[in-house]
Amino acid sequence: MPALMMQPDMTQEVAQSATRQQALTSWQAQGWPGPRVESWRFTPLAAIAERPIAPVRTLSSTGASIAPVIAAAAVIRFTNGVVDPDSLAALPAGVSVGDLAGDEAAIAELRQIVPAANPISDLSLAMMSAGLVLDITGVVDTPIMLVHEGEAGECSTHPVILVRVAAGASAVIAEWHGSKVGIAAPLMGISLGKGAQLDMAKLQAESSATAHVAATGVVLAEAARLSGFTLSTGAQLARLETHVKMAGEGVDCTLSAVYLGRGDQHHDVTTYMDHAIGHCTSNQVIRGVLDDRARGVYQGKVHVAEDAQKTDGQQMSRALLLSRKAEADAKPELEIYADDVICAHGATVGELDETQLFYLTSRGIPMAQARAMLIEAFLLDAIDAISNPALAQLLRPAAEAWMSTQGETGA
Amino acid sequence: MTALLEIRDLHASVGDKPILKGVNLTINAGEIHAIMGPNGSGKSTMSYVLTGRDGYEVTGGDVLMNGESILELDPDERARAGMFLAFQYPVELPGVGGMSFLRAAVNARRVDAGLEEVDQLEFVKMVRAKAKLLGINDEMLKRAVNVGFSGGEKKRYEILQMALLEPNLAVLDETDSGLDVDALKIVSDGVNMLRAENRSMLVITHYQRLLDHIVPDYVHILANGKIRKSGTKELALEVEESGYAGIDDAA
Repeated sequence: MPALMMQPDMTQEVAQSATRQQALTSWQAQGWPGPRVESWRFTPLAAIAERPIAPVRTLSSTGASIAPVIAAAAVIRFTNGVVDPDSLAALPAGVSVGDLAGDEAAIAELRQIVPAANPISDLSLAMMSAGLVLDITGVVDTPIMLVHEGEAGECSTHPVILVRVAAGASAVIAEWHGSKVGIAAPLMGISLGKGAQLDMAKLQAESSATAHVAATGVVLAEAARLSGFTLSTGAQLARLETHVKMAGEGVDCTLSAVYLGRGDQHHDVTTYMDHAIGHCTSNQVIRGVLDDRARGVYQGKVHVAEDAQKTDGQQMSRALLLSRKAEADAKPELEIYADDVICAHGATVGELDETQLFYLTSRGIPMAQARAMLIEAFLLDAIDAISNPALAQLLRPAAEAWMSTQGETGA
Repeated sequence: MTALLEIRDLHASVGDKPILKGVNLTINAGEIHAIMGPNGSGKSTMSYVLTGRDGYEVTGGDVLMNGESILELDPDERARAGMFLAFQYPVELPGVGGMSFLRAAVNARRVDAGLEEVDQLEFVKMVRAKAKLLGINDEMLKRAVNVGFSGGEKKRYEILQMALLEPNLAVLDETDSGLDVDALKIVSDGVNMLRAENRSMLVITHYQRLLDHIVPDYVHILANGKIRKSGTKELALEVEESGYAGIDDAA
């Protein structure tokens, strides 16, 4: 990697990788999707499109980290999208790390897994401010934390990570995003082998000026289990798009997401669950709380392929509006081509219940606390779905911190 | 002596509809007053106006607690000042754990009074002791507030809250509704245990039978938004025999 080159010529940067060249070409042809692209209809990117795409290539001296860290976790640090090589030195047994940029086969594998026809898949694969391959080959109890920070407001970050959990292996991975960069565009591809297990949590707590546009693809082999949870509280605009492909029977996949918005924040959670084969279970619990003029979007499609019999696909989205100017949009979709399936989806938008608030305040509990209690109760079944205690320990305080702070309009 | 509660010519509306049309009532410390009245007389409105619920607009008159008007106070402030409402229909709070709810309520009042928050272990002991007297078991205490409770359990849980919050004025809104004879006895015994010199109660009921158990010092008949008749506990028996018919004319 050429040192001190702040904005390298991308043509040269991608020259060694045919796959990255394709991604760059695709990005250059498409660019940011406009409002007429259906999957981006609710999330306009006009303001983002004006920001520079300017990945940093060198590791700047890292300031004091503000990231909450799980005790005893192995922490991999990224600053302004660049990985700190020192943080790769002490990974637990059963985890090995490789350089993605120099591994064309891994790049090609990743491109197969990440969301197709998604601008972040193209852009970040081409730009790749950091590229890692994490191979999990054993039962790894030590949580691995990916901490993304950085103060460079004009830069864009494109960390690209391929996680491969081998057959029978297991891992616990937490992501924390708390930068002040202009655009954070993390791209992740996750592959779970037969019977592999992955507990994952992501905490998006970017600065209120940052646009966080993430794309994640997951492919699960037979009897693999994924338990994923996302808490999105930060950023001016956040789009968290996750595509999951169940490629072997007996997969158990839970994806829960909670977004909490206030001010002018925009939160978008978009999922695509592909039941490509039968006898798999997927469950999505989405909860949003929106105050002030914040907007929340949930788009979730469950696709059940022909012959994917005995599929169980559940999806439930609920949004709670704390202000009359807050807005929530939901687009749940079922696309079922098999006949012997159990699938359900639903979406609700509501407000705090006046009778419940009166009951609490009539006991002397101040209004702000009463509201926080009801919001917490509303989020409870989503947060309770975090079965891994280390991950729960990371996420719960973040959600509680949000709830204990009032929005601009207050109670 | 300043009355604990003084209601002066109270007028209140729900929406545009006047419900209370000049209620006068004075309750001294330690007294139990019953308000009886037919459906639609304004009994429940009275309980919500006293506790400050949104949507119940006072259009005239005043309500004083210990000589100070409480009409500008929010419901939580009134509660911390010593007001308590036992709901006719206690509200279910799915996802809100019972113990944390009870502790939040008790602590809100303690913090307001300049006291330290209650110790968690001490609190659990105290709740269990009081719950036991009301036939509330540990399993019920662990559940979310009022969720999955029977009608009788909900009413007992209201009285448990009253026992923990130790109000100066407890308003019991149709506490007998939905209770069978046994449950009525448990709830009434619970209320009677809480009778104290510094605690007054306003018992709102449609039927006289509750007043056999919670014996009032005074009985008032509310009809068409006004107190039409006041007397001692014998008045309740009178109403039981002759019904509410004719009460309006008596005013």
